[in-house]
Amino acid sequence: MSREMIISVMSKDRTGIVADITGAIYELGGDLADLNQSTLGGYLTMILFATFDEGVSPAMLREKIDAIDSPTTLDVVAREITPAPSSEDSELPRKTYIMTTQGLNRKGLVYGISSFCFRHDINILDLATTIMGDTYTMVLQLDLSRVESIAEVRSALDIYAHEEELQVVLQHHDLFKVTNEIPF
Amino acid sequence: MLRSDQILATVEMIQKENLDVRTVTMGINLLDCRASSIGQTCRNIEERISERAGKFVETCNFVSRKLGIPVVNKRISITPISLVGAGFNRDDFVALAKSLDRAAAVVEVDILGGFSAQVEKGMTRTDREYIHSLPEALRESKTVCASINIASSQKGINMDALAMLGPTIKDIAEQTADQGGFGAAKFVVFCNQPGDNPFMAGAIHGVEEADTVLNVGVSGPGVIARSLEKLITSRQSDEIGLKLDEIAEQIKQTTFRVTRCGELVGRQVSDILGVSFGVVDLSLAPTPTVGDSVGEILHILGVDAIGAPGSTAILAMLNDAVKKGGIFASKTVGGLSGAFIPVMEDSVLAEAVGKGHLCLEKLEAMTCVCSVGIDMVAIPGSVDGDTISAIIADEMALGMVNNKTTAVRLIPVPGKEVGDSISFGGLFGASPIMPVRNVGKSSRFIGWGGRIPAPVHSFKN
Repeated sequence: MSREMIISVMSKDRTGIVADITGAIYELGGDLADLNQSTLGGYLTMILFATFDEGVSPAMLREKIDAIDSPTTLDVVAREITPAPSSEDSELPRKTYIMTTQGLNRKGLVYGISSFCFRHDINILDLATTIMGDTYTMVLQLDLSRVESIAEVRSALDIYAHEEELQVVLQHHDLFKVTNEIPF
Repeated sequence: MLRSDQILATVEMIQKENLDVRTVTMGINLLDCRASSIGQTCRNIEERISERAGKFVETCNFVSRKLGIPVVNKRISITPISLVGAGFNRDDFVALAKSLDRAAAVVEVDILGGFSAQVEKGMTRTDREYIHSLPEALRESKTVCASINIASSQKGINMDALAMLGPTIKDIAEQTADQGGFGAAKFVVFCNQPGDNPFMAGAIHGVEEADTVLNVGVSGPGVIARSLEKLITSRQSDEIGLKLDEIAEQIKQTTFRVTRCGELVGRQVSDILGVSFGVVDLSLAPTPTVGDSVGEILHILGVDAIGAPGSTAILAMLNDAVKKGGIFASKTVGGLSGAFIPVMEDSVLAEAVGKGHLCLEKLEAMTCVCSVGIDMVAIPGSVDGDTISAIIADEMALGMVNNKTTAVRLIPVPGKEVGDSISFGGLFGASPIMPVRNVGKSSRFIGWGGRIPAPVHSFKN
C-alpha cells in the first residue's frame, strides 16, 4: 500500500533547493509524480506530489528536510492525501478567458477582483500581477464554464470597472493563443 | 498561462492600436436565381440572400463579443450580376440593383458588392446593357457596390470596354452630383480581379467558388505603426543602429498576430453558420481615423513627405513584409493581401495631396509595388472621359504586365477643381482634389478600341 502526499516548500531562493527537496524524497524511497515551482521577489515556492511506501509519514519527510544543512530556512508543509487525485485534464476549459485590469495602485485591488470572480462563479486558474510606476496591472486566466450569461458578467464588469476606476478587458483565451503560438 | 507581457501586448493591439477585423464578407452564389422574368429573378435573389445571410450579422456580433475583438463591417458579395442577369437589359439591371439593396437591408449588412461584370476578353450584349445601367443603378441604390474586370495577364486589356468606362464614370459621378459624385466611389475598374476579395468596393463572389463562403479582411495599419515606433525608440541608444531588414522582420511578425486574429474570427463565424471558410485577406487597409493610416507608416519609415523619393521603395518593403507575415499566419490567404493606398480613406495620404507632395504619377508608381491601385482619388469634375479612360489604361497595363491585381477608383467630383476638397464622411473619408496633368491629350489613343494583347509571358500552356 502506498501513501500519496502533497508537499509545499517556501524558501529564499538559492541554488540547490530543488536538489535538496527531491533528494530527501528519494532517500525516503519516494516517487515524485509532479512538481510546480515559481519565484517572486527573490523567494521560491514549490508544490509537489509524491508517493511513498506505507511506512513513511509526512512527519518523517519534514524531519528529513529539517536535517538538511541549508543556508536558507526551508518552510515545509506536507500532508497525506486520500484518495489519490484523478489525473487532471491538461486541456484548458472551452470557456477560458483572460481578464486584464489596469489602474492606480492601491490596497485591495486583487481582493476586489477575486471577490468579483467568486460572486459570479468564476474560477481563477492563474494570476499574474506587475507594478510599473503607479500603475498596477493584473492578468487573470479565468474559467467561465459555470457562468450562465457571459453578457451579464460583462455588464457587471463594466459597472465594477467604472466604480473602481480601473480599465478592465475580458477576452477569450483563444485570441491570445493564436496571436502568440505557432500551431493554430 | 501565457506570459503577461504577451497578453498585455495583444490587449493593447486591440484597445489602443485600432486592431480590428475590418470585414467579414459572405460570398453568395446567385447563378441559379435567374428566372424567366426580372420580377421572379429579383424575388429569387432576395430569398436566397435572406436565407443564407439571415443569421450572418448576429453571428459576427456574437463571436466579436465572445473574443473581445471588434468586427467592424459585415458585408455580402455576390456572383457578378452580369452573369446572373444574362439576357436582361439596362432597365432590368437597375431593378436588380434595387433588389440587391432591399436584400442587403433585410439582413442588415451595410454594403453588398458584386454588381459586376468580367469583360477582359470581350463584351457580350448583356455586358453592354450592364455598363449602361451603372449610372442609374448606383444613383438608385444605397448599399450596392459595382466593379468590372477589363484586363488580365492572360487575356490583355479590353480597350472597347475601357473607352466606354471613362465617360461612364463621369456619368456616374454626375448622376450623384448632389452627393459630391459619391456614386463613383462605389465603382472599381480592375485588372486581374480576384474572386475572393472581401474588401469593398471590388468584392465579388467568383464563379470558381462554392455556393457560400466566408472571407475575412483584417487590418491594422495602426498596430504596425505603433510596433515600429516602439522598436525604433527602443533601439535609439543602441551602439549598432536599427537596420531595414530588422524593420521588415518587425512588420512581418506584427502582421502575423494581426492575421491570426482575423483567421480566428473567420473560422469561428463559419463554424457556427456551417459555411465554408474561404480566405483571410491580410491587407493593411487604412481608415480616416487618426492612428489608422498607411501613410503614417511611410512617415515612420523615413520619408518626411509621402510621395518624396523613397516612397515607392518603402512601400515595396512594407507590402512584401505584410504578405510574408500573413502567409505564415493563415491556412488560406487570398484576396488582395497587401498594403492599400486609398487616398481619401487615409488621412495622411489625403494631407499629402493637399500639400502637393503626392501626385498622380507618383501614386501610379507606388501602385506597382502594393495592392489595389489608384484608389479613392478625387479629381476635378472637368477632366474629360477619355483622359479618365487613359489613366485607367495605364493602371491596367501595370497589372497586366506585372501579373498583379491593379484597380482604379476615381471620383471626378462635379463642380470641383484643384484647390477644392470633398468629403464623403464615415469610412469613405475626405481629401483635396488631386490635380491631373496633361488633360485632354489622350483621345486619339482611346479612339482606337480593340484589345491590347496579352503580354508574352502569359503563354504558359
